[in-house]
Amino acid sequence: MRKSLIIPILGLVILGISTFVFLNKNEKTGNKDIALPSSLFNTADFYDMKTLNQKELDDVYIVNFFASWCKPCLAEHPLLMELQSKGMQIIGINFRDDEDNFIQWINEHGNPFFHIIRDDGSIAYEMGLIGVPETFFIEKSKIQKKSTRAFIL
Amino acid sequence: MKILKSIYRLFFIFCFVLFTNISLANVNQLSEYYKTIRCLVCEGQSIQESDTEFAINLKEQIKKKYESGMDLKEINQELISIYGEEISFNPSNDHFILWGLPLLLY
Repeated sequence: MRKSLIIPILGLVILGISTFVFLNKNEKTGNKDIALPSSLFNTADFYDMKTLNQKELDDVYIVNFFASWCKPCLAEHPLLMELQSKGMQIIGINFRDDEDNFIQWINEHGNPFFHIIRDDGSIAYEMGLIGVPETFFIEKSKIQKKSTRAFIL
Repeated sequence: MKILKSIYRLFFIFCFVLFTNISLANVNQLSEYYKTIRCLVCEGQSIQESDTEFAINLKEQIKKKYESGMDLKEINQELISIYGEEISFNPSNDHFILWGLPLLLY
Protein backbone atom coordinates (compact mmCIF):
# COMPACT_ATOMS: atom_id res chain seq x y z
CA MET A 1 0.00 0.00 0.00
CA ARG A 2 2.70 2.45 1.02
CA LYS A 3 4.98 1.57 -1.85
CA SER A 4 2.28 2.02 -4.45
CA LEU A 5 1.74 5.56 -3.21
CA ILE A 6 5.39 6.63 -3.21
CA ILE A 7 5.95 6.41 -6.94
CA PRO A 8 3.03 8.58 -8.09
CA ILE A 9 3.74 11.18 -5.42
CA LEU A 10 7.41 11.27 -6.35
CA GLY A 11 6.37 11.55 -9.99
CA LEU A 12 4.10 14.47 -9.24
CA VAL A 13 6.83 16.22 -7.27
CA ILE A 14 9.30 15.81 -10.14
CA LEU A 15 6.68 17.02 -12.61
CA GLY A 16 6.08 20.05 -10.42
CA ILE A 17 9.77 20.88 -10.16
CA SER A 18 10.33 20.48 -13.90
CA THR A 19 7.31 22.66 -14.72
CA PHE A 20 8.61 25.32 -12.37
CA VAL A 21 12.10 25.22 -13.91
CA PHE A 22 10.67 25.24 -17.43
CA LEU A 23 8.40 28.21 -16.77
CA ASN A 24 11.27 30.18 -15.26
CA LYS A 25 13.43 29.56 -18.29
CA ASN A 26 13.77 32.19 -20.97
CA GLU A 27 11.78 32.12 -24.17
CA LYS A 28 11.99 28.94 -26.19
CA THR A 29 14.20 30.47 -28.82
CA GLY A 30 16.64 31.85 -26.32
CA ASN A 31 18.74 33.74 -28.81
CA LYS A 32 18.05 37.26 -27.64
CA ASP A 33 21.67 37.67 -26.62
CA ILE A 34 23.10 37.34 -30.10
CA ALA A 35 24.72 40.47 -31.42
CA LEU A 36 23.58 42.25 -34.53
CA PRO A 37 25.69 40.97 -37.43
CA SER A 38 28.12 43.44 -38.94
CA SER A 39 26.80 42.59 -42.41
CA LEU A 40 23.63 44.41 -41.43
CA PHE A 41 25.62 47.63 -41.27
CA ASN A 42 27.99 46.90 -44.15
CA THR A 43 25.39 46.10 -46.79
CA ALA A 44 24.31 49.01 -48.96
CA ASP A 45 20.74 50.20 -49.20
CA PHE A 46 18.95 48.87 -52.27
CA TYR A 47 17.79 52.29 -53.47
CA ASP A 48 20.41 54.89 -52.55
CA MET A 49 23.39 52.50 -52.24
CA LYS A 50 24.48 53.99 -48.94
CA THR A 51 25.49 51.85 -46.01
CA LEU A 52 23.77 52.31 -42.69
CA ASN A 53 25.28 55.00 -40.49
CA GLN A 54 24.94 53.92 -36.88
CA LYS A 55 24.89 57.55 -35.71
CA GLU A 56 21.76 58.21 -37.74
CA LEU A 57 19.87 55.53 -35.87
CA ASP A 58 17.67 56.23 -32.89
CA ASP A 59 18.06 54.39 -29.62
CA VAL A 60 15.10 52.21 -30.46
CA TYR A 61 14.45 50.80 -33.88
CA ILE A 62 12.99 47.78 -35.63
CA VAL A 63 14.48 45.22 -37.95
CA ASN A 64 11.82 43.57 -40.07
CA PHE A 65 12.34 40.62 -42.37
CA PHE A 66 9.89 40.42 -45.25
CA ALA A 67 9.45 38.94 -48.70
CA SER A 68 7.09 39.57 -51.58
CA TRP A 69 6.05 35.91 -51.62
CA CYS A 70 4.92 36.05 -48.02
CA LYS A 71 1.24 36.69 -47.25
CA PRO A 72 1.52 37.50 -43.53
CA CYS A 73 4.10 40.16 -44.46
CA LEU A 74 1.45 41.85 -46.54
CA ALA A 75 -0.97 41.61 -43.64
CA GLU A 76 1.37 43.40 -41.26
CA HIS A 77 2.47 45.94 -43.86
CA PRO A 78 -0.13 48.64 -42.98
CA LEU A 79 1.04 48.49 -39.38
CA LEU A 80 4.63 49.10 -40.45
CA MET A 81 3.44 52.06 -42.55
CA GLU A 82 1.67 53.46 -39.49
CA LEU A 83 4.75 52.98 -37.30
CA GLN A 84 6.88 54.75 -39.88
CA SER A 85 4.48 57.70 -40.06
CA LYS A 86 4.84 58.00 -36.29
CA GLY A 87 8.59 58.31 -36.65
CA MET A 88 9.83 54.78 -35.97
CA GLN A 89 12.92 53.77 -37.91
CA ILE A 90 12.41 50.42 -39.60
CA ILE A 91 15.21 48.50 -41.26
CA GLY A 92 13.73 46.21 -43.88
CA ILE A 93 15.49 43.06 -44.92
CA ASN A 94 14.17 41.43 -48.04
CA PHE A 95 14.66 37.71 -47.48
CA ARG A 96 15.45 35.49 -50.48
CA ASP A 97 13.29 37.25 -53.01
CA ASP A 98 13.14 37.87 -56.71
CA GLU A 99 14.31 41.39 -57.52
CA ASP A 100 11.48 42.29 -59.92
CA ASN A 101 8.83 40.96 -57.57
CA PHE A 102 10.39 42.89 -54.72
CA ILE A 103 10.41 46.21 -56.61
CA GLN A 104 6.84 45.66 -57.73
CA TRP A 105 5.74 44.78 -54.21
CA ILE A 106 7.26 47.95 -52.78
CA ASN A 107 5.77 50.11 -55.55
CA GLU A 108 2.37 48.59 -55.01
CA HIS A 109 2.17 48.67 -51.24
CA GLY A 110 4.45 51.52 -50.23
CA ASN A 111 7.81 51.71 -48.57
CA PRO A 112 7.83 52.08 -44.78
CA PHE A 113 11.50 51.27 -44.50
CA PHE A 114 14.25 53.60 -43.43
CA HIS A 115 16.83 51.29 -44.92
CA ILE A 116 16.29 48.32 -47.22
CA ILE A 117 18.70 45.46 -47.73
CA ARG A 118 18.26 42.52 -50.05
CA ASP A 119 19.55 39.42 -48.35
CA ASP A 120 20.40 36.04 -49.85
CA GLY A 121 20.01 34.43 -46.44
CA SER A 122 23.29 35.04 -44.66
CA ILE A 123 22.07 37.95 -42.51
CA ALA A 124 18.97 35.94 -41.72
CA TYR A 125 21.13 33.03 -40.65
CA GLU A 126 23.27 35.17 -38.37
CA MET A 127 20.23 36.71 -36.72
CA GLY A 128 18.55 33.36 -36.23
CA LEU A 129 15.58 33.89 -38.51
CA ILE A 130 13.02 31.11 -38.58
CA GLY A 131 10.56 32.43 -41.12
CA VAL A 132 9.26 35.62 -42.61
CA PRO A 133 7.81 37.86 -41.37
CA GLU A 134 9.97 38.26 -38.34
CA THR A 135 10.54 41.42 -36.37
CA PHE A 136 13.35 42.31 -33.99
CA PHE A 137 12.99 45.20 -31.57
CA ILE A 138 16.36 46.77 -30.93
CA GLU A 139 17.35 49.13 -28.17
CA LYS A 140 20.89 50.51 -27.97
CA SER A 141 22.07 48.02 -30.63
CA LYS A 142 20.92 45.03 -28.57
CA ILE A 143 18.04 42.80 -29.49
CA GLN A 144 15.40 43.33 -26.80
CA LYS A 145 12.49 41.38 -28.13
CA LYS A 146 11.87 39.11 -31.01
CA SER A 147 8.51 38.37 -32.48
CA THR A 148 8.53 35.33 -34.68
CA ARG A 149 5.09 35.85 -36.11
CA ALA A 150 3.44 38.81 -37.70
CA PHE A 151 2.43 40.87 -34.73
CA ILE A 152 -1.01 41.79 -35.92
CA LEU A 153 -2.04 38.22 -36.61
CA MET B 1 -4.16 -17.66 -43.97
CA LYS B 2 -3.16 -15.77 -40.87
CA ILE B 3 0.39 -16.99 -41.16
CA LEU B 4 0.50 -15.90 -44.78
CA LYS B 5 -0.67 -12.46 -43.81
CA SER B 6 1.96 -12.05 -41.14
CA ILE B 7 4.64 -13.25 -43.55
CA TYR B 8 3.50 -10.59 -45.98
CA ARG B 9 3.73 -7.96 -43.29
CA LEU B 10 7.20 -9.06 -42.27
CA PHE B 11 8.26 -8.96 -45.89
CA PHE B 12 7.09 -5.37 -46.26
CA ILE B 13 8.83 -4.31 -43.06
CA PHE B 14 11.97 -6.05 -44.27
CA CYS B 15 11.83 -4.21 -47.60
CA PHE B 16 11.30 -0.90 -45.87
CA VAL B 17 14.22 -1.41 -43.50
CA LEU B 18 16.43 -2.54 -46.36
CA PHE B 19 15.46 0.48 -48.43
CA THR B 20 16.19 2.98 -45.65
CA ASN B 21 19.49 1.30 -44.90
CA ILE B 22 20.58 1.48 -48.51
CA SER B 23 19.63 5.12 -48.87
CA LEU B 24 21.45 5.95 -45.64
CA ALA B 25 24.61 4.19 -46.73
CA ASN B 26 25.05 6.10 -49.95
CA VAL B 27 24.98 9.67 -48.75
CA ASN B 28 27.97 11.91 -48.37
CA GLN B 29 29.01 13.53 -45.13
CA LEU B 30 27.23 16.85 -45.45
CA SER B 31 23.81 15.45 -46.22
CA GLU B 32 24.33 13.04 -43.35
CA TYR B 33 24.84 16.06 -41.17
CA TYR B 34 21.66 17.77 -42.43
CA LYS B 35 19.70 14.89 -40.94
CA THR B 36 20.80 15.89 -37.44
CA ILE B 37 19.48 19.44 -37.78
CA ARG B 38 15.88 20.11 -36.93
CA CYS B 39 13.77 22.29 -39.16
CA LEU B 40 12.27 24.79 -36.73
CA VAL B 41 9.28 25.47 -38.97
CA CYS B 42 8.10 21.84 -39.08
CA GLU B 43 9.66 20.48 -35.95
CA GLY B 44 9.42 16.77 -36.63
CA GLN B 45 11.49 17.00 -39.78
CA SER B 46 15.18 17.45 -40.37
CA ILE B 47 16.31 20.15 -42.77
CA GLN B 48 17.36 17.38 -45.14
CA GLU B 49 13.73 16.34 -45.59
CA SER B 50 12.14 19.73 -45.29
CA ASP B 51 11.51 22.09 -48.18
CA THR B 52 10.68 25.23 -46.24
CA GLU B 53 12.54 28.41 -47.07
CA PHE B 54 14.15 28.16 -43.62
CA ALA B 55 15.55 24.70 -44.30
CA ILE B 56 16.73 25.57 -47.79
CA ASN B 57 18.51 28.65 -46.51
CA LEU B 58 20.08 26.77 -43.61
CA LYS B 59 21.36 24.08 -45.95
CA GLU B 60 22.87 26.73 -48.20
CA GLN B 61 24.54 28.54 -45.31
CA ILE B 62 25.91 25.33 -43.80
CA LYS B 63 27.24 24.26 -47.18
CA LYS B 64 28.91 27.63 -47.68
CA LYS B 65 30.57 27.42 -44.26
CA TYR B 66 31.60 23.82 -44.82
CA GLU B 67 33.19 24.65 -48.16
CA SER B 68 35.05 27.60 -46.67
CA GLY B 69 36.81 25.18 -44.33
CA MET B 70 34.80 25.12 -41.12
CA ASP B 71 34.39 21.62 -39.78
CA LEU B 72 31.03 20.19 -38.81
CA LYS B 73 31.65 20.44 -35.08
CA GLU B 74 32.27 24.18 -35.29
CA ILE B 75 29.21 24.65 -37.49
CA ASN B 76 27.15 22.68 -35.00
CA GLN B 77 28.31 24.85 -32.12
CA GLU B 78 27.55 28.01 -34.05
CA LEU B 79 24.07 26.76 -34.91
CA ILE B 80 23.34 25.94 -31.29
CA SER B 81 24.56 29.35 -30.15
CA ILE B 82 22.26 31.06 -32.67
CA TYR B 83 19.13 28.93 -32.58
CA GLY B 84 19.38 27.26 -29.21
CA GLU B 85 19.70 23.59 -28.46
CA GLU B 86 16.45 22.53 -30.06
CA ILE B 87 18.01 22.98 -33.50
CA SER B 88 19.94 19.71 -33.07
CA PHE B 89 18.44 16.23 -33.00
CA ASN B 90 21.37 15.03 -30.91
CA PRO B 91 20.76 16.03 -27.33
CA SER B 92 23.68 17.19 -25.24
CA ASN B 93 24.85 15.06 -22.34
CA ASP B 94 23.44 17.20 -19.54
CA HIS B 95 20.02 15.54 -19.73
CA PHE B 96 21.20 12.50 -17.79
CA ILE B 97 18.53 13.01 -15.11
CA LEU B 98 15.86 12.61 -17.76
CA TRP B 99 17.33 9.33 -19.00
CA GLY B 100 18.30 7.98 -15.59
CA LEU B 101 15.16 8.66 -13.57
CA PRO B 102 12.94 5.92 -14.99
CA LEU B 103 15.63 3.37 -14.25
CA LEU B 104 15.93 4.64 -10.69
CA LEU B 105 12.19 4.63 -10.11
CA TYR B 106 11.34 1.21 -11.45
